[in-house]
Amino acid sequence: MARWGMVIDQSKCVGCWTCAVGCKAINDEPLGYWWNRVLTTEPDSSAQVAAPATPAVDVPHGTYPNLELAYLPLACQHCNDAPCEKVCPVGATFRRDDGLILIDYERCIGCRYCVAACPYGVRIFNWGPAKREPDFVIGYGEEYRTGGRLVFEPVRPVGIVEKCTLCVERVDANEQPFCVDVCPVGARVFGDLDDPKSEVSVLVNDEGAEQLLAELGTNPNVYYLPSSHPSKVSD
Amino acid sequence: MVNSSVRTDLPRAPGLARSPWTWLLGVLVLLGLVAWVYELGHGLAATGMRDVVSWGMYIFTFAYLVGLSAGGLIVASSSEVFHIEALRPLARLGVLTAAVFSAAAGLMIIPDLGQPIRVLNLFIFPNWTSPLVWDVTIITIYFLFSVLELWVMVRRPEKKKTLTTLAFIGLPLAVLLHSITAIIFGLQMSRPWWNTALMAPIFVASAILSGTALIVLIAWILQRYNNLRIPAATWRWLAGLMVMALFVDLFFVASDYVTIAWDNIPKDRQVLDLILPGGPYQLTFWFEWVLGGVIPFVILASSKLRAKASNLALAAALILMGVYAFRIELVIPAFVNPLIQLPPGTSLGAVSTSGSFQLVGHYSPTWVEYLITVGLFALTALAIAIGYRRLHLGRTIQEAAEHVAD
Ligand code: SF4
Ligand code: SF4
Ligand code: SF4
Repeated sequence: MARWGMVIDQSKCVGCWTCAVGCKAINDEPLGYWWNRVLTTEPDSSAQVAAPATPAVDVPHGTYPNLELAYLPLACQHCNDAPCEKVCPVGATFRRDDGLILIDYERCIGCRYCVAACPYGVRIFNWGPAKREPDFVIGYGEEYRTGGRLVFEPVRPVGIVEKCTLCVERVDANEQPFCVDVCPVGARVFGDLDDPKSEVSVLVNDEGAEQLLAELGTNPNVYYLPSSHPSKVSD
Repeated sequence: MVNSSVRTDLPRAPGLARSPWTWLLGVLVLLGLVAWVYELGHGLAATGMRDVVSWGMYIFTFAYLVGLSAGGLIVASSSEVFHIEALRPLARLGVLTAAVFSAAAGLMIIPDLGQPIRVLNLFIFPNWTSPLVWDVTIITIYFLFSVLELWVMVRRPEKKKTLTTLAFIGLPLAVLLHSITAIIFGLQMSRPWWNTALMAPIFVASAILSGTALIVLIAWILQRYNNLRIPAATWRWLAGLMVMALFVDLFFVASDYVTIAWDNIPKDRQVLDLILPGGPYQLTFWFEWVLGGVIPFVILASSKLRAKASNLALAAALILMGVYAFRIELVIPAFVNPLIQLPPGTSLGAVSTSGSFQLVGHYSPTWVEYLITVGLFALTALAIAIGYRRLHLGRTIQEAAEHVAD
């Protein structure tokens, strides 16, 4: 059994939001909903738990001429010990054996306990009827079930929680998540963390890719190569 | 039958249907229902909650109602377990409030759900790692238990043994109810403000505090407007309970403040700064520490002031406000600054003129939330009034009071 994971190379990311917009398109995310966001940060990752240095995007941190700028593309981390899964009172949020954390749209009662519990702030609640521009289905466009449970449909019911599915429908069809495909600089790598020879495993084991808020013990399947990492420009 | 046994010199509740209060409460309940129907049609978009501050008034009111329900049972059980004769007259009233308020707490959750129609999933697919499931379980047990105890008290008062056993079960049950409700918050490492081992002790202390204050307020209303005579010894015990609970409660909260202030860990400190004087949520601080803290403490500590029942009622009312402020302070500020707080922020799950991201969370309840919450409080008051009358509590309180030495 594979354990799907992703490594995001912050030394390559140019902060273009293509992954976020691609995600929005393929998953039919309505206006105001972003499963995937690209945050402006500083290379020192400990900054994530303090107050932000500036409220503006794309603004470097520091004092001239020592300016630093880095990006943190952020979506569900698909934690192996996921707080959202533990707190869900009805088991609507569940972990598949291959590590994907999914939400059963037909079981969720909309209590939002998972939203309070997720340390990464990546879960999104359907507060009211969705607005879409243009107002027709784009992207994957069909409902998708795994083990009989409805984990994706283009128009989600009001009152349930949604988030990144790691493109479960594509992964099951031996494709990569859409954000990985569309990234113009190849900053995102997808693969099997249980296979020691896979590219993601090499990046984690030999190149020093790290988990976000690792000290919380959520053990995510998404890793980050810090921006100080010497970027190997692929030829 | 019943009427013939009522001595005319004993107080009776005024005719409920004729009281303007009943009508006012009824109208408030109706307005709450209307607001709920509106919310059902528009989704939770009708509330002030969004994806940064994703829990609001319903949840802090829920925690408040749970607290009020625990106090009644604690007062009732203590009279039995610790042989406090002076509290015995209020035993039935205590158990009645326990039953009504635990039911109200359960009801408060319903409008907070995005899919209220699926609420039974909680019982069909319970996930036992979730503190919410533990809480649903304990609230259900607690409610059924209070109803049972009330039934025995009213219908089988001669079964002294059973009543004693029930009292001994009731006390730990009330403590458990509170600890588990606290744990819903206390176990969440994603919210540093909640993630303290002190959460359960704080909840238990504030439950005893607010629950007793509620009993004091009801007892005072009965004495003032219903000619019920509550013995001075009973007032003394209630005042003592309140002042102790107030002290312990604020002591625990202060311990948390000191730890956070000294450690100065950014994410903890950010929340504390929100509520301390000068911060955007300082109102909760003033209500909790001054209006609902120092002032009632002075009233209760002064032997001259606490001798008057109306002063006790005033202290109780202030305490009730202070504890409500504490619930607000607990829930909302924890959401304002998410762990990962980088520009442009969290997407709101809504489009607004100020964009669809929020770096620092904002929350203010909408009229829908106010009406639903007030409606539920009105329903609770009605239920207490009806229960009081139907179960002839006035008569039993008076009879028991005659056995209490002043
Ligand atoms: S990142 Fe959040 S939503 Fe995703 S698995 Fe972890 S806790 Fe759950
Ligand atoms: S909102 Fe839905 S997925 Fe989240 S904890 Fe509640 S029931 Fe589970
Ligand atoms: S598409 Fe690639 S480069 Fe652009 S923001 Fe996303 S991860 Fe960074």
